[in-house]
Amino acid sequence: MRWGMVINLAKCMRCHACVAACRIEHFLPLHITWVKLIAYEVDEAGAVDVSTYPVRCNQCADAPCVHACPTEASHQREDGIVVIDSDKCIGCRYCVIACPYQNRTFVNKEKDPGYFPGFERTRFEKMGQKLYPHQRGTTEKCNFCVERVDYGLERGLRPGIDRDATPACVNTCQARALTFGDLDDPDSNVNQLIRKHDGFQLRTEYGTDPSVWYVDYRLGGNDNKAPRDAQTGHHIQHLSSVDRDAYRRIFGRDKEDAEVTS
Amino acid sequence: MKAQTRRQWITTHEWMVKPMRQTEWISGQGILVWLAEVFSALGMGTYLVGLIAGIWEISAWAFWATVIGWLLIVLFKFPLHLVYLGKPLRFWRAFPPFSKAWKTSWMARGVVFTTVFVGVGFFQNVFWYFLRWGDLSASGAGALTVLAWITGLVAGVFMVLTGVYCGFAMSYCKGVQFWNTGLLPIVFVLMGLADGLALSMGVILATGAGEGTIATLESWTRVLLIVNALLIAGYLIRAYRRHAAAEMAAQDLVKGSTAGVFWILLVLLGIVTPFVLSVVTAFMESNAEPILIVAIVCHTIGAFALKYSVLKVGIYRSILPGVA
Repeated sequence: MRWGMVINLAKCMRCHACVAACRIEHFLPLHITWVKLIAYEVDEAGAVDVSTYPVRCNQCADAPCVHACPTEASHQREDGIVVIDSDKCIGCRYCVIACPYQNRTFVNKEKDPGYFPGFERTRFEKMGQKLYPHQRGTTEKCNFCVERVDYGLERGLRPGIDRDATPACVNTCQARALTFGDLDDPDSNVNQLIRKHDGFQLRTEYGTDPSVWYVDYRLGGNDNKAPRDAQTGHHIQHLSSVDRDAYRRIFGRDKEDAEVTS
Repeated sequence: MKAQTRRQWITTHEWMVKPMRQTEWISGQGILVWLAEVFSALGMGTYLVGLIAGIWEISAWAFWATVIGWLLIVLFKFPLHLVYLGKPLRFWRAFPPFSKAWKTSWMARGVVFTTVFVGVGFFQNVFWYFLRWGDLSASGAGALTVLAWITGLVAGVFMVLTGVYCGFAMSYCKGVQFWNTGLLPIVFVLMGLADGLALSMGVILATGAGEGTIATLESWTRVLLIVNALLIAGYLIRAYRRHAAAEMAAQDLVKGSTAGVFWILLVLLGIVTPFVLSVVTAFMESNAEPILIVAIVCHTIGAFALKYSVLKVGIYRSILPGVA
């Protein structure tokens, strides 16, 4: 069993509900976000294009952060979820540097000044300090709501299908852009999506094999058969942040060729 | 409405989209990591030079060089790293048998290397002291010599590992292309040795012993400085050719915001000046001490500048395929 997530970029409408749900679920301090939303608005010659990438810890199968941790505080469970034992973390921040996706955060006073700095902590924060304490001097990241997954499995629920066993961000997404399921099961909801829409991972060249996949319905419709690099190339067009030379360096061909292919 | 700009960024997490510098190990409290690594290199160089010199004869300066190298690790590197930790009182968790992370983590390995060096290096220094100044019988001296050899060998190996692990730890970071190369540990070790040679000359000047050795050390310094200059140039050329993010880091180093530190403090003061001064002193018949002192100071400034420059231009690739 290996839990994974598929994010449909075409469906994401940039509402930030997943970010808020994560904050509420884990009582996150003011300047810490486990789920991040990278949003672009490209305005080129009057044609506005929008591209949004929700990102979170990729729960890599070969996680550099786990290998880097000197105390085994960062470790990988059998179900593939990478978790941090805050009581073991010594705060060396090597994992923060080693994570090529920059998805780890070191908790310190600057990151946790209180929701209203200079004023008393809110009741929500006080409750969070009891229910989900964030230790200063340690590192944190998204854990696929591991407590919800475990809670659900103990009661015979199915993560990704039953809400009580599914990560908060997936439950909250009103556009149903997020799908959670078992990557090891070839017939699971996530694998079906990945196969059908030719899903892709971020920065596969690192060899980390992320458990977070992306799909985009816009590329070729439901029967999209576009090659993966062309699909990624299409996203680059959405981003419009790469020049012709850089594009050729990354994909080995011209931008115009990718447009024709896709 | 006519578009005002070709593109508009409204991202809230720019560091994930654009190539940006790492800050954890150089800004704010991260300065402690920089200083710790500088003292690590200086300690390694000084200790090893003293140790190698002591193979032939345990002279006063060789003894003091190993002592100073050991002290640089114990009094500076170790405490600075410790203070940097978010939870310093838990540092013991990185030690075996509490953790088996040394199998994969360079940081954990570094903790082991440093601890073994500090322990064995202490005994090596004690043995050397008694061999040099102790009133020993022939059999006692023989046994102590064997012990000194064994501890010296073990401490020397672990000193090299202590000096080199930081380079491996940094080169492991896949997201920072400028660091992600096997050349980095080599650069750190050779620069550390060159700086250690310089500090050892300072020890010779301070103790007034072994002045005849200065010329030998200086010739070695010249060789190492040339090798280091070529190595750094090769490193930069490789970075330029390797990847866009590494190229960006190299450009930042050569003509960006870090260029002042790189050209003035590292290249000019850290490499060129000591080299020129060592050539000048080679032709001087007497009173070269003031020039030597200037060269030693320049060397040490270069040691600080090297680690600062490399840590400062640790630029991440963006996590999206769109940029660099």
